[in-house]
Amino acid sequence: MLRNTLIVLVIVVLFLPLLPLLVWSFSQGWFFPQFIPEQWTFQHWIQVFSPASRVMEGLVQSLAIALTTTILSLLVGLPAGRAIGLMEFPGKAALKLFLLTPIIVSPLATLMGMQFVLIRLGLNGTLFAVVLVHLMPTIPYMTLVLASVFANFDMGYEIQARSLGASPLQVLSQVTLPLIAPGVVVGALFAFLISWNEFLLTFFVSAGRVFTLPMVLFTLLQGGNNGLTAAVAITSVVPGLLFLLLASNALQNETTLAGLGNV
Amino acid sequence: MSQLVLQNLTKHFLGATAVQDLWLEVQAGEILALLGPSGCGKSTILQMIAGVLQPDRGTIALDGKLLNRVPPEKRDIALVLQRGLLFPHLTVGENVAFGLKMRGINRAEREEKAIAMLHQVQLDGFGDRKPSALSGGQAQRVALARSLVIRPKLLLLDEPLSALDANLRAEMQDLILRLQTQTGVTLLIVTHDQAEAVVMSQRIALMFNGRLRQVDSPERIYQQPSDEPVAQFMGGVNFFAIQAQGQQWKLPNGLVLVSQHRHQGAIRATIRPEQIQVFTEMRSQNNVIPATVIANRFTGTQRRLTLAIAANLTLQAWVTPTQDFHVGQAVWAYLPPENLWYFSQTSALPQAVEVP
Repeated sequence: MLRNTLIVLVIVVLFLPLLPLLVWSFSQGWFFPQFIPEQWTFQHWIQVFSPASRVMEGLVQSLAIALTTTILSLLVGLPAGRAIGLMEFPGKAALKLFLLTPIIVSPLATLMGMQFVLIRLGLNGTLFAVVLVHLMPTIPYMTLVLASVFANFDMGYEIQARSLGASPLQVLSQVTLPLIAPGVVVGALFAFLISWNEFLLTFFVSAGRVFTLPMVLFTLLQGGNNGLTAAVAITSVVPGLLFLLLASNALQNETTLAGLGNV
Repeated sequence: MSQLVLQNLTKHFLGATAVQDLWLEVQAGEILALLGPSGCGKSTILQMIAGVLQPDRGTIALDGKLLNRVPPEKRDIALVLQRGLLFPHLTVGENVAFGLKMRGINRAEREEKAIAMLHQVQLDGFGDRKPSALSGGQAQRVALARSLVIRPKLLLLDEPLSALDANLRAEMQDLILRLQTQTGVTLLIVTHDQAEAVVMSQRIALMFNGRLRQVDSPERIYQQPSDEPVAQFMGGVNFFAIQAQGQQWKLPNGLVLVSQHRHQGAIRATIRPEQIQVFTEMRSQNNVIPATVIANRFTGTQRRLTLAIAANLTLQAWVTPTQDFHVGQAVWAYLPPENLWYFSQTSALPQAVEVP
């Protein structure tokens, strides 16, 4: 009973703020004394899907950037996390601390320097530059998540698989990845959401040429069209929620967790 | 059936010697136990044979083919580790078929062979279960099946039974021996348990501190250990200084024993505690010496007596539990001449036998 009450409470706290957004997105003006708007419209949602508003363009670019960032940080985070989780080497503690610096140090402090370097390299305002700066916070998250997963991973599984005739690539695809899948899902979720919601780094590095969804939203917030802003805000929440649902589905699968022992 | 030859095998870890100049041959179809205390380097040897560790020096050859540069998956050597390590994301059947899948064998044939292999380890109908639903003994049987289904040239078992309880262990020992007979696979077992090595193997290679000390049949390593540490490891408890004049061996208290072995000068002698016979009456016979019972422990299968021979000389005699004794009782211990064994050199303890 208490448990159910708590769940309802959590849902209310999390989703109640979204309710006014939903109302706004379908209203033609919603002014103070009114409890609900007097006039309803689909106009904002039509606008969201029209090319003129550039919302869909931003959505596609955001998706492309977030997915690329996630895949790249996985490619770096997997071997790095494996090394930190499974092996002992001098300077390991220092390296782990060093990995946290992009999370600890405010991006504001490093933005100037980064932009300077990117301009020098002729990369400023490119999609690649945006992905590059997004990797700064995502790689540490990914690496640390995977390091803690690998710390509980028994390397005996890999030895066993190889002695049974699996090549190193087969060991990775048939044994290691399936066994650490929950960690990969959690790391990917972090990376995707960080990249998806990133505004400040994108804003500075894009030079107005790369237009992600948070930037569309920011522009709209300044414009004062509450209905459209609300519709875009809801749009920007959807992919993250979908990813989260998929991830929690994968995490609830007991067999994927079995390989992790007592994580 | 395949013959394994290790030559001059050496491995160091951070300056410490794990394995030093090891020469060992395992004959085709043979069961050899690599026996030694924890940390003596036996698992390191196994990992080098399996190919997951590279030796610093020396060669590993299977059927005359040099393996040093062959990756583990191409060696046809299957490894069963202590923890079993069934892949938790696969069913029992998929686990058994894993090696076949890696070899590109089609699903129908894989399943057929996996089912047949599960039958051989008496786990019919377990194919669809998850490893988490198995007991320790069942998991270890699946691990065996998974390794044998690929028909390896050599099967390596690393302490495969040490996580199981005593009853289950005996059952598994029988199963392993039966499977070995059926398949004829060359079998190398690593264990720290001398009883297990004796029961399971045709030959025992005993090692301390990364070096082989004796390679012999279980009988010989039991009766004729090469030195005192080997004898101690094999459960030897009776050691005494002897002045030998041919077959006349003089104990420190002046009593003379007769042995089958001839030697001159100072030696260390030993006799297995279960080979000493204890009489309650004096017998006029060689090697019967008076003693006093100073401890009497009943173990179920044996009665373990500690006998005082002289002030500084005690013997352990393990006799049948039906014979009853009491502490303080005067008895006569018979040390059969054929069971007296000796070490010509005074051997140091294993720790002291470091490489110069």
